[in-house]
Amino acid sequence: MSLLPGKKSSKPPRYSAAGLIVKGARKQNWPRVWRDVPLKKSYDVVIIGGGVHGLATAYYLAANHGITNVAVLDKAYLGSGGSGRNTAIVRSNYLTPEGVAFYDRSLSLYNTMAADLNLNVMFSERGHMTLAHTDSALRTMNWRAEVNKLQDIDSSVIDPSEVKKLAPSLDTSSNARYPILGALYHPPGGTIRHDAVVWGYARGADHLGVEMHQKTEVLDILVEGGEGSATDAHDGKGAGGKVTGVRTNKGDISAPIVVNCTAGWATLISDMAGVKLPISTRPLQAAVTEPVKVFLPTVVVSGSLHVYVSQTDRGELVFGASVDPFNTYSVRGSLEFTEELAGHVLELMPGISKMRLLRQWAGLCDMTPDYSPVMGFTPVDGFLCDVGWGTYGFKAGPVSGEQMAECVATQMTPKLIEPFRLSRFSTGALVGEKGAAAVGH
Amino acid sequence: MSNSMRLPAQPGEVIDRSRRIDIKWNGKKLSGFDGDTIASALVANEVRVVSRSMKYHRPRGYLTADFWDPNGFVQVGDDPNVRSGHRLIEKGMTVDPQNVWPSLDYDVKAANGLVGRFLTAGFYYKTFIKPQRLWPVYEKVLARFAPGGVVDLDTPHGLYDKRYAHPDVVVAGGGPAGMAAAIAAAEAGSKVMLVEHEHHLGGHLLWGSAEDRALAAELTAAVETAGVEVLLNSTVTGRYEDNWVAIAQRSHPQAIERLVKARAKMLVVAPGLIERPYVFAGNDKPGVMLSGAVRRMVNMYAAKPGSRAVVFTGNGDGDAAASDLERAGIEVARIVDARNGENILAAHGPAKSMDSVELADGTKVEADLLVTAVGWTAPTSLLNMAGDRPSYDANAARFFPNSPIDHVLSTGGIAGDGSHEELIEHAVATGRLAAARAAAIGHRLQAATRRAASVDGEAPAFAADDRPILPRDPHPELFRSTTHGIVDYSEDVGSKDLMAAAAEGYDSVELLKRFTTATMGPSQGKLETVNTVAVLGEARGETIEEVGTTVWRPPYAPITLGALGGRIHEPARVSSIQPWHEANGVTPILAGAWIRPEHYGNPESEVRNTRANVGITDVTPLGKLDLQGPDVPKLLSQLYTNKWMQLPVGSVRYGIMCAEDGVVLDDGVTGRLGDEHYLMTTTSSGAASIWEWAENWLQTEHPDWKVHVTPVTTGLTSINVAGPKSRELVSRLVAHAGDGAIDLDGEAFKYMQVRQGTIAGVPNCIMWRIGFTGELSFELHVPSGHGLHVWEALLEAGKDLGVRAFGLEAQRIMRLEKGHFIVGQDTDGLTKAPSTGMTSLIKLDKEDFAGKAELAWAMDTPLPVVVGIQTVDPLIVPAEASQIVREGTNEILGRITSSRMSPTLRRSVCLGQVAPESAAAGTELTVVLTTGERIKARVMEHHAHFDPEGARLRG
Repeated sequence: MSLLPGKKSSKPPRYSAAGLIVKGARKQNWPRVWRDVPLKKSYDVVIIGGGVHGLATAYYLAANHGITNVAVLDKAYLGSGGSGRNTAIVRSNYLTPEGVAFYDRSLSLYNTMAADLNLNVMFSERGHMTLAHTDSALRTMNWRAEVNKLQDIDSSVIDPSEVKKLAPSLDTSSNARYPILGALYHPPGGTIRHDAVVWGYARGADHLGVEMHQKTEVLDILVEGGEGSATDAHDGKGAGGKVTGVRTNKGDISAPIVVNCTAGWATLISDMAGVKLPISTRPLQAAVTEPVKVFLPTVVVSGSLHVYVSQTDRGELVFGASVDPFNTYSVRGSLEFTEELAGHVLELMPGISKMRLLRQWAGLCDMTPDYSPVMGFTPVDGFLCDVGWGTYGFKAGPVSGEQMAECVATQMTPKLIEPFRLSRFSTGALVGEKGAAAVGH
Repeated sequence: MSNSMRLPAQPGEVIDRSRRIDIKWNGKKLSGFDGDTIASALVANEVRVVSRSMKYHRPRGYLTADFWDPNGFVQVGDDPNVRSGHRLIEKGMTVDPQNVWPSLDYDVKAANGLVGRFLTAGFYYKTFIKPQRLWPVYEKVLARFAPGGVVDLDTPHGLYDKRYAHPDVVVAGGGPAGMAAAIAAAEAGSKVMLVEHEHHLGGHLLWGSAEDRALAAELTAAVETAGVEVLLNSTVTGRYEDNWVAIAQRSHPQAIERLVKARAKMLVVAPGLIERPYVFAGNDKPGVMLSGAVRRMVNMYAAKPGSRAVVFTGNGDGDAAASDLERAGIEVARIVDARNGENILAAHGPAKSMDSVELADGTKVEADLLVTAVGWTAPTSLLNMAGDRPSYDANAARFFPNSPIDHVLSTGGIAGDGSHEELIEHAVATGRLAAARAAAIGHRLQAATRRAASVDGEAPAFAADDRPILPRDPHPELFRSTTHGIVDYSEDVGSKDLMAAAAEGYDSVELLKRFTTATMGPSQGKLETVNTVAVLGEARGETIEEVGTTVWRPPYAPITLGALGGRIHEPARVSSIQPWHEANGVTPILAGAWIRPEHYGNPESEVRNTRANVGITDVTPLGKLDLQGPDVPKLLSQLYTNKWMQLPVGSVRYGIMCAEDGVVLDDGVTGRLGDEHYLMTTTSSGAASIWEWAENWLQTEHPDWKVHVTPVTTGLTSINVAGPKSRELVSRLVAHAGDGAIDLDGEAFKYMQVRQGTIAGVPNCIMWRIGFTGELSFELHVPSGHGLHVWEALLEAGKDLGVRAFGLEAQRIMRLEKGHFIVGQDTDGLTKAPSTGMTSLIKLDKEDFAGKAELAWAMDTPLPVVVGIQTVDPLIVPAEASQIVREGTNEILGRITSSRMSPTLRRSVCLGQVAPESAAAGTELTVVLTTGERIKARVMEHHAHFDPEGARLRG
């Protein structure tokens, strides 16, 4: 298979304060952040899903491997799924060595992303605090801290007075219903402007020749020679098959490699290739308040109270919770969520009862049985997956893109994503990051 | 200057001039009248600048002068972001402007306005990139520009409340259409709740003509007669699945705000229309106001918004505003009629006011007030939440509801135009339709319950929608003049920003919104969305229909966290024995939902006494599920990894539960009390989740199984009696003959058996023999009303035996001495069942159970192992979570999960998890203490450090 570098777009002007001044003075507009080009008949690689994962994969394919004849397809607009619905928290203080290595790589990519992509993704290294309200939670925090210490991750358990210093709005008194006994503090964690990450990767990929196609919905995946799918034994899909392209609402595209980087609809897309995924889709709700002057300088997470909160530079408090305990594709918010959320937030910060909730929304999380993603090759030749990211896909976006790009380019599974192969669900070698992921964000 | 801009009495005014109210604005005292909003009081006192804009800190005056006014946010005491166009003044109120630094009159950040050309929307994405180390500094500066008020972190929670309501029909909006619909529905027999956002019923009639006001009065009286429940100053904030309607009630006499949750059979949406601003140069100067704002100020509050006006009108409301101004004696210098093709270009003047208006015909008219009337936005939020996607009608220049929804009807201005008669006719038809459908739904719901027998007759048919169709008045499409101006006032986003962003590729409405933040401010697009879409359409050369619109998400209007949270209702649980604990020097500990006794002064001596004599401990928080039905064994087999089909009546069995991934979820014992009656115990922390887990299997996988699960954790007080003298103690309290007698003889009542009977005179107690502490022990489950009595009876009866209470800490020590692991402490979210060493309890030859597939693999795979560990130096107790590493490296091999100094053995004892290659008895381990110091420890042969054969507990 030949994957020749495609034609690159002309070099765009770099973003800088000086550029802003020049453009402002000349009253010029900036060029398009990514080109709007017609869909071609064939590509070397088609990526389904224009979120952080799909765009990062495209970007690293072009930047690290020179594979640029790539199309990223999205049925709506770039960043319309989980990438624009998450609460934009990043951290690397995971529990297993594998988890730490993976997310630490992601965090370091986020750290230099603004410079790498020449777009300010507003990474705010504001610190990440996971509160312990019970002895057993404190024990888990100690455990994570000890593991992190041995792996040179900046992460330690702090006492209530230090918690109070970092976040004066928290009720650290001992008579609170859920007293704060301590917290795991992780200074390198923080927040990032999630849309900017999407745009940064899209712009970076575009400059290298990758095409972004919005409002381009994949209707079918074209596969030949397989043993048949679950619904039709003679459709040539499924194990042993070979991808030849995709059918979209804008016509057929031929491509030897198709990568599924979707969330929420990952199973529906994989079904099109005759590949069954052990994924159930659940909503995760979030909400934001009206802006007030900034008073919360760090990210605060409470596992016991099922809530995480941070304040944006615009002054809004952003709240997230656990996934809802039922399967659905609906992204409508529920009233119960806001009630429970507000009750729990007020337990933590009793002084903010007069703040008003401005907006609530939901995103879809693809949950696997072991809370770990499905990455890499599938039984259908040329059909790859980067799916099943549960509640923490955003954090993992950069490193996933980097690894998936390597996987596509070398046709070998990189070591870092080896544990996430689809076949583990038949051999039983499930991954154990559930303990860390279940703690929240 | 007091009330210097107050007009003489107006026929429709809602203020009470006999009641003066003083407030403090921006540090100065001023007065208004009862009934004034903060906005009308300020306008009447000649205050023209009320805030500064977010980014450029431009001086801003009232634009809409109602709840949605983007310029009207103020701080009232500790209450940030108060809508001054809506909030009524109260005596002693302290009102301050927001977004000003250092003051409203002189704002340093206004300098941003001078460089506005460079601070285009999204400018921050393009700057502060290098040097990277400086970004945190820039970020702090940006954060200082965060808009909004100040939260006083000492704000007391105050009284917030919730109410559940079950009306047949909720009507959102108390204007003429909403009132008429409510009356019609109530007269047709429905229980109706009418929710009005403002302080009075009447909607736009209140600032209309004498005839309008008469109609409002007539309808208001009829609402009362019809028995409609009216909630004023309340907003329907959301419509959720199954017409679960949330209402923020701001008018409760005691509560600061109350969340009313109504399960409405039918929802009628009648919010009226929201007037839309016009985009032109200088459209955010103080003195530019919408026609509705001016009419409310003049007609309802007798407040004079200016002295000389230009009126730009495209509709009857603009015309009416002009005549209202004239009637009130305010000069109307010029009427600019859009219907004749006339247009305005710009409002001019010094920073804080306006002195002239530039027209498209080149003339400049002196004026300090510019009134615009360019059309409306239909607030279709609630319909959106029910699944509707509104469609644009170019002829009427606004969006309309699109698809019919069975349980949600709309009427009034949102649905169409027409005369009062036509609108009321439509509203009445809507009210009747709502009532008819509510009746049909009610009948169906009642028939679905067990009381079906009491339901009379056939279910009424679901009424068809045969309402008249409202006309749509033609309206010129007026969004932007030929000049550029502000589109989103609260975000300081202009039409030029939007066009630049679209040219840059952010050219779908959602991308544009995210990039520029237009429509993301406090009014969530109610004023800005349509103009944003129109400007984007201009930029793309497309129509508004082609561009489409954003999805409105709940809440419709912001609601306080206080109201959503309600009264804080999460009491900590205590057992019925709590009074005794408190009277006897307990040190409490919060454990999950419970407050439990940690110890009574000296846990080590509690351990020694229990080992030597007998101790009792309160274990009420143990999760308890009462299971009844013929299929209970199937459920138990599904949940536990071991076998349950043959458990004899009178026996208890220990089991482990796993999740689908084979990870240990919970453990505990279940006893068979009767043929079809079992009692399951779970860990304390698993009480709720295991109940859910059981219900999940029953409801989603095996709905055919006949099992009834009842959580009885709090219904039974649980007491563990442990120690060599425990049999003697319990025997003194059980009945030995007759009904409820229990034979305690070691042969008659063996280890792992259960008996029911009378204890200390209390019938229907359950007692089983298990041994978490490693001692001979009896666990009693007694009806919680008698828990304290039984506890005290045990202490009284056992005085000579040396009985003493012991707490959670003593129990933890004893179970660690005995080597019993605790799920969630010695296991974790990664620990699969074989790791616990309990492989004999994993029965892969069973048909199916949760986690089977994974365990089949795990049984043959090297996994971390839970082992007993002792330090070489018996006096060192490594902290729980201390890591076990490969000698001389940082490679993690495991960790200490439990550790204590054992009072029985007088040495440190531990449980830990280690890698399989380090799990063999006698293996030497390197433990890293939290101080960093490394010590040696050894893997033991058993988990148990004490009595590994179990002679004591079987005794």
